Amino acid sequence: MRNEREPTRDELLAMAYVDGELSAEGRAELESRLGQSPELRREVSELKELELLARAAAPKEPMDHEWAALAKDPVQRAALGLGWTLLIVGFLGLSALGLWQLFRSDAPLALKLLVPALLLGGALLLGATLRARLRTLPLDPYRKVQR
Amino acid sequence: MILSTTDAVSGRTIVETIGLVRGSSVRSAHVGRDVLAKLKNLVGGEVTEYTKLLAESREQALDRMVEEARARGADAIVGLRFMSSDIGDDAAEMLAYGTAVRLG
Repeated sequence: MRNEREPTRDELLAMAYVDGELSAEGRAELESRLGQSPELRREVSELKELELLARAAAPKEPMDHEWAALAKDPVQRAALGLGWTLLIVGFLGLSALGLWQLFRSDAPLALKLLVPALLLGGALLLGATLRARLRTLPLDPYRKVQR
Repeated sequence: MILSTTDAVSGRTIVETIGLVRGSSVRSAHVGRDVLAKLKNLVGGEVTEYTKLLAESREQALDRMVEEARARGADAIVGLRFMSSDIGDDAAEMLAYGTAVRLG
């Protein structure tokens, strides 16, 4: 019994595109459609990811098994989790405390306004950059390359 | 597409030299990976975070070079070379370049 469905025309086109088997006209046509179709963009990206994984296929090294074991080790996981949590809490706490001290101090009003403006500006820029990265992340096949 | 670091493709004849093709990529790790990499700098050993970063840049640069060669109707790239430089702190830049050719 077969439970595999036949690939659609677009899937076949995406495969040919990633494998470099399309003519110049075929490539140009598909590339123009990529701008309009998120499904096609995702399909091409997934196939590219598959091609990269196949290209980078290499025997596991002894150290890889140790890294994998460490990733599952409860002590290692707890140390990393707690470490990151304390680092983030410490950073945010110190920032908040610094701001609070600034507002309570006798510092000039301009400083009390400019420092939060600077921090807010930085946070907004970081947020916008992070948003852009999260939007493009699923279409970045290179993120799975290991070495 | 045949990729060769030598100036010829064994058993094939180059019938046309198309010209220089290249691809480059600059990638960076996120702050989490950077923090762990910095800590590994203290204790030694392979910094896998940066091994991965360099590999990502290498593969992307290679693909961009191949794409250019393909668009120009090449069958192969000979004299392939990789080059790296430091664009910024904790960013990996890779440049792949070679000569696109048509084979007989």
